[in-house]
Amino acid sequence: MRRALVALTLLLIASRMAPAQNAGTALPIRADSVKFAVIGDNGTGERGEYDVGQQMISARRRFPFDMVLMLGDNMYGRQAPEDFITKFERPYSALLSQGVLFYATLGNHDNQNNRNYKAFNMGGERYFTFVRKNVRFFVLDTNQLDPQQRAWLDDALQRSSDDWRICYFHHPIYSDGGRHGSDVALRVTLEPLLVKHGVNVVFSGHDHVYERIKPQKGITYFVAGSGGELRKGDVHPSAMTAAYFDQDQSFMLVEISGDELFFQAISRTGATVDSGTIHRQPSPAGATQ
Amino acid sequence: MKSHAVAAHHATWHRQRQKAHAGIVDRLTNHYLALPAGVVLALVWANTAPEPYFRMAQSLSFAVNEIGMTFFIGLTMQEIVEATMPHGALHSWRRWTLALIAAAGGVAGSAGVYLAYVHGHYESMLVPGWPIACAVDIAAAYYMLKAILPRSGALPFVLLLAIATNLFGMVVAALQHPSVITAGGGAAFMALALSSAAAMRAMRVRAFWPYITLCGTLAWFALYLDGLYPAFALVPIVPFLPHEPRSLDMLDDPPDDDAVHHFEHEWNAFVQIVLFFFGLVNGGVLLRGYDTGTWALLLAALVGRPLGILAAVGLAVAAGWHLPKRLGWRQLVVAALAASSGFTFALFFAATILSTGPVLAQLTIGALGTAAGSLLAMGGAKVFRVGRFSR
Repeated sequence: MRRALVALTLLLIASRMAPAQNAGTALPIRADSVKFAVIGDNGTGERGEYDVGQQMISARRRFPFDMVLMLGDNMYGRQAPEDFITKFERPYSALLSQGVLFYATLGNHDNQNNRNYKAFNMGGERYFTFVRKNVRFFVLDTNQLDPQQRAWLDDALQRSSDDWRICYFHHPIYSDGGRHGSDVALRVTLEPLLVKHGVNVVFSGHDHVYERIKPQKGITYFVAGSGGELRKGDVHPSAMTAAYFDQDQSFMLVEISGDELFFQAISRTGATVDSGTIHRQPSPAGATQ
Repeated sequence: MKSHAVAAHHATWHRQRQKAHAGIVDRLTNHYLALPAGVVLALVWANTAPEPYFRMAQSLSFAVNEIGMTFFIGLTMQEIVEATMPHGALHSWRRWTLALIAAAGGVAGSAGVYLAYVHGHYESMLVPGWPIACAVDIAAAYYMLKAILPRSGALPFVLLLAIATNLFGMVVAALQHPSVITAGGGAAFMALALSSAAAMRAMRVRAFWPYITLCGTLAWFALYLDGLYPAFALVPIVPFLPHEPRSLDMLDDPPDDDAVHHFEHEWNAFVQIVLFFFGLVNGGVLLRGYDTGTWALLLAALVGRPLGILAAVGLAVAAGWHLPKRLGWRQLVVAALAASSGFTFALFFAATILSTGPVLAQLTIGALGTAAGSLLAMGGAKVFRVGRFSR
């Protein structure tokens, strides 16, 4: 009886937490796909960041991604020229030397002038868009979602005729993180635009955990804010939680091929903590195609 | 017979109830409590049902912040003009000099501490919020000093300090206000507004509403079309309004004894409704949204400003200035603490300067927290045994 209870408890815990398994086969690795990695809240310059960097280099041998989305807090603490080396260039030196491009968004710990740092590929802008094959990325600065930025996003999404529309910004509008959680004020302002224009996937950081949220109004949300920082045990799962991992640092690999987006979340030690596929939904009425 | 007695009892009860309601409304409107009432409601609502709250706040934001607040700023300007005009309580450049020095010290102290704290934590995203740290809640300082230092020279000194500080803050806030409208053509509207106001003044129009509705509307569009903060629309119109000098009770609703006071009374009542909604729309924040900006703002307002004021006055006295009559150093410390609350104006500057996002959230919590400055002033009065605590 006791064994049965223990087994049942373990089963319940396992069903609530994403299963950890050896990294390797979660992504199809197709020749013509868009491949990228995602990291958030990484710029500590400490061991956790360097370990994640090593795992990314190791993952790239199997999964040749050519760009990395940075979800903000790309740099913590002092941000002098030498910090760009210890907190960014060194941990990812192998990726940078292989020509992998990093596309950053600004978090609350980032100096606004960092948008001019060449290796962050922000073109000096707080918010911008770029495209890879049939995927368009919209990068926002959610520290302050000013009217100009909202108008820009509305217009940029309206103009987009790409199959996939992916938004990323630092502060999550859906999150079960205990310290910050969902930014509801931002959600009320931003979500109508994302829904109206048929955005498929949103990546955020800020909460130092990994979490996948069940689709909200047709959009899948990821929190990937443990690329360097970690708030262990901080996720308080709720009805909207699809999967989470809050025991170690992690990063994500994503592959988009046709109407499918494959994702894999990998821990600092190389274990797969979540994986799956998102099928592109038809755009809602009114959304540009 | 019995039914008559019951009816009479009901009528008395009804009258008492109406009187009680009127008392509450008067208290709320006469003591600038409408805004705190709105803030309390907003905080409860935002932290219990956030999504409906923020949806409501977003839908009312333009009407309240960009239109309604026009009347608040206009009334504030009217009160300042009347208090500083000849025969007004604050009309004397002698009074102004030291208060201006103290205001400069307060701004330097609060902005300096805020920026030092923010830079010390490497959070440059918070830098644009520095004017919020400088805001002084005129009403809080006024009522606190009236209660604890009623007969000292602290009241006019702090009122002048607060006016000077907030005028400076308003200019900065207006320049930093984010807007997407840059249609242009505002100058023509403003010229029309000012010439209409001048014509009304020449025709000796005593009623306020023609100035406010016609000239104010034209001025509002002038600022809006040029991408400036339209709630400042009445600022250039106020000098054309009829004025009467104000006593030191400048924040009290004036007696309804002549045309000017009658319109100011009506205006004040309307502004209190606006302030309630301003508190409701802008005061709601998720309390877990506190962060570095919250502590920076609290430290800046509650410590930086009083120290800045005292240092500036100390330097001025060392350079030959004299403290105002009935204002000793101990009273000055209490006055500086009374000026540390930023509440209403801090909330106003935050809503004017910042857009939706975590920066606004953490600074809003800080702005609300500066209300503790009133308690500090009371504590200071007790420690230094001044005013009501002198015995």
